[in-house]
Amino acid sequence: MDLFLQLVANGLVLGAFYALSALGLTLVFGLMRVVNFAHGELYVIGGLFGWALTAVFGWNYFLALVVVVIVLGILGYLIDQILIARVRGQGEEPTILLTIGLSIFIANTALLIVGTTPVTVASPFASKPLILGPVVITQARLLLVVICAVLIAAANLLIQKTTLGRAMRATFQDPMAAQLVGIRTPRIYGFTFALGATLAGAAGMLLGSIYVVEASTGGIISLKAFVVVILGGMGSFAGAVAGGLILGLTEALWGGYVSTGYVDAIGFALVIVTLLVRPYGLFSRRAERA
Amino acid sequence: MAVFLPTGLIVKAQRKNVENRPIDADVNGIKLALGEINARGGVLGKKVELVIEDGQCKPANTVNAAEKLTQRDKVVALIGAFCSSATAAIMPVAQSAKVPLVTGVSSAANLTEKGNTWFFRATETDALLAKSFARILVNQLKLKKVAYIGVNDDFGRGGVEEFEKQMSALGATTVLKEYFEHGTSDYYTLLTKLKASGADGAFVAAETQDGSTLVKQKAELGLSTKVFGVGSWATADFMQLAGPAANGIYAAVPYASTMKTPKNEAFVKAYQDQYKAAPGKYSAAGYNTLNIVVDAIARAQSTDPDKVREALLKTDYEGPNGHFRFDEKGQATGFTVVLVQLENGVPVVVESNTVEK
Repeated sequence: MDLFLQLVANGLVLGAFYALSALGLTLVFGLMRVVNFAHGELYVIGGLFGWALTAVFGWNYFLALVVVVIVLGILGYLIDQILIARVRGQGEEPTILLTIGLSIFIANTALLIVGTTPVTVASPFASKPLILGPVVITQARLLLVVICAVLIAAANLLIQKTTLGRAMRATFQDPMAAQLVGIRTPRIYGFTFALGATLAGAAGMLLGSIYVVEASTGGIISLKAFVVVILGGMGSFAGAVAGGLILGLTEALWGGYVSTGYVDAIGFALVIVTLLVRPYGLFSRRAERA
Repeated sequence: MAVFLPTGLIVKAQRKNVENRPIDADVNGIKLALGEINARGGVLGKKVELVIEDGQCKPANTVNAAEKLTQRDKVVALIGAFCSSATAAIMPVAQSAKVPLVTGVSSAANLTEKGNTWFFRATETDALLAKSFARILVNQLKLKKVAYIGVNDDFGRGGVEEFEKQMSALGATTVLKEYFEHGTSDYYTLLTKLKASGADGAFVAAETQDGSTLVKQKAELGLSTKVFGVGSWATADFMQLAGPAANGIYAAVPYASTMKTPKNEAFVKAYQDQYKAAPGKYSAAGYNTLNIVVDAIARAQSTDPDKVREALLKTDYEGPNGHFRFDEKGQATGFTVVLVQLENGVPVVVESNTVEK
C-alpha cells in the first residue's frame, strides 16, 4: 500500500510537471494551430537562460524568472512576426518545416554557446526529503506543483476572461470575422505565440531547478508536450492538466508495477488509443472550425 | 611546405537522446598528446595533424564522417567513434578502406568479437570490469541483496548482465533488475521500486546526465542504498552536477586522476596546466589512443596501412593507466582498472587491478 501511495504521489507530481511543460504548446498548437516543433527548444532556452542568470551571474531566482519571461515573450513575438507570419495561411506543412528548422537552429546555437554538459538552475527551494506519512516528497517539488497550478489558472483566466483572450479566441475561430470586428489579427498571432514561448521558457526554468537542462533535450520535451495536448484536447487548459496527470500517473504505475524500461512508449500508446476513440481529445468540445 | 600526417578522429558533439558523454574531455586529451608529439618533432619527420569530424553518436552520421575521413582526407588511422553503436557501424568502413581504427571509449564487449582485423580497442569492456571488481564489491560492501539498474541500450544492458552474472556467482541475490530510457528526467518511480525491493546495494550503469539526476533524486527520497556502477561516475562533470549526492558512490573505471603512477602524475600535471581541470577517463582515453597510433607508425617506419596494422598488434605502450598490449582480436590488456569511491569531488582509489587476458 505504501508503494502504491508513493507511486501515485510520484505520478501526480510528474503529471503536474508534464502539464506545466505543455502549457505553451496548448496555446500555440491547441489554440493557434501552429504545429510548433520548436516548443521544446523554447523550453530549453528558458532553462539555459535561467541557469546562466542564477548559477553563472548569481541573480535572485525570482528576478531571473521575470527576466526569462520577458525575454522569451519578446523572442516569441519576433519569431512569429518575422518567421511564422510568412507561412501563415499556407496550411500546416510549411509551418511544420519551419518550426523543425527553427528547432535545429536553436538546439545547435545552444550547443555552440553552452556545450553538451547538462546544467542546473540554482534554486532557493530545499531538496531535502519531506516525509508525509508513507509518502516522501521534497519542498522544491511541492512548491513547483503550486506554482504550476497558479500559472495554469492565470493562463486560463487570461484566455477566458480578458479582452485579449477573447480577441485570441475570435481570431483563431475565424480570422476574417475577427478582422471585420476590428481585431488586429497579426498582433494577436504575435501575442499568442509570445505567450506560448513565455510559458515554455518559464517551464524550462522552473523544471530546470529540479531536473537538469541540456542544449539538446528539446526533442523529447516537444514530444511529451504533444502527447499531453492531444490527450487533453486541443486548446483546453483543463485538458492539458488532465492530459499531464493521466500521462504522469500511467507512467508511474506502469513503471512501478510492470517495468520502467519502455515507459516512454506509454504516452504514445495513449495517444494512439485517444485518436482512435476520441479524436478530438478527452476534454475538448467538438467544435466545427470555419 | 610542412607535410602532415592526417589522423582522423570521430567524436560526438550533439546528443539526441543517445548518450551523453562530454566530447571536450576526449578531444582535450588527444590534443594534449598531439602537442607533445609535434613538440618532439612529430613522427617520421612529419607533423601529425588531426582531422576532427562529429559523428553525433549516430551510426549513420558516423559512417558519413568515416567515409569522408578515409576517402577525402586520406587519413592514416581513425580514432573513434565514441558510442559503441556508432563504432560498430564504422568498423566495416575501416576494413574496406584498409585504415586501422582504434577506439579508447567504446566498451560493448562484442566489438572485438566481430573478427575485424582493422579494429583495436585500447580500453576495458564491461565484462573485464565485472570480472575485476565483483569480488571486492560483494566482500567489502557486504552485499547480499543487489538491485541492477541500467540505461536501456547495449552499454547499460551489457553492464547489468555482466555484473549480475559475476556477483550472483559470489552469492549475491538479485532483487531488482530495471532499465530506464536515456534522458529520463524523473527517477522517482524507479527509486520507489528500489526502496521497496529492500536492496542493500544498487549497481547502476549510466552516463553523466542520467546518473547525476538519479543519485540526486535518490538523496531527495532519503534512500541510503549503496550505489556502485560503471559509466561516467568519476568525471568532474558528474561530481559537479550531483553535488553532495555523489559522496560515497563506488565506480569501476579504467582511469582516475588520482592513480599513483609517475606517468599519470606527469599527465595530470600537463593536463591541468593546459585545461585547468583534472582529466577524466575520456581525457585519458584520447591521450592514450593517439599515442598508441603514433607509436605504431613510428615502429612501422611507414604509413602503409598494412604495416601500421602489424605494428599496432605489437603495441607495448605505457600510458598514465598502465601498459597496453593488444591480443589477436584487437582487445587491449595489461592496463590498470580501478575501483574508486567519490569523496567530496575526489575519486579516491579503493582498489586497482591489472586487466589480464
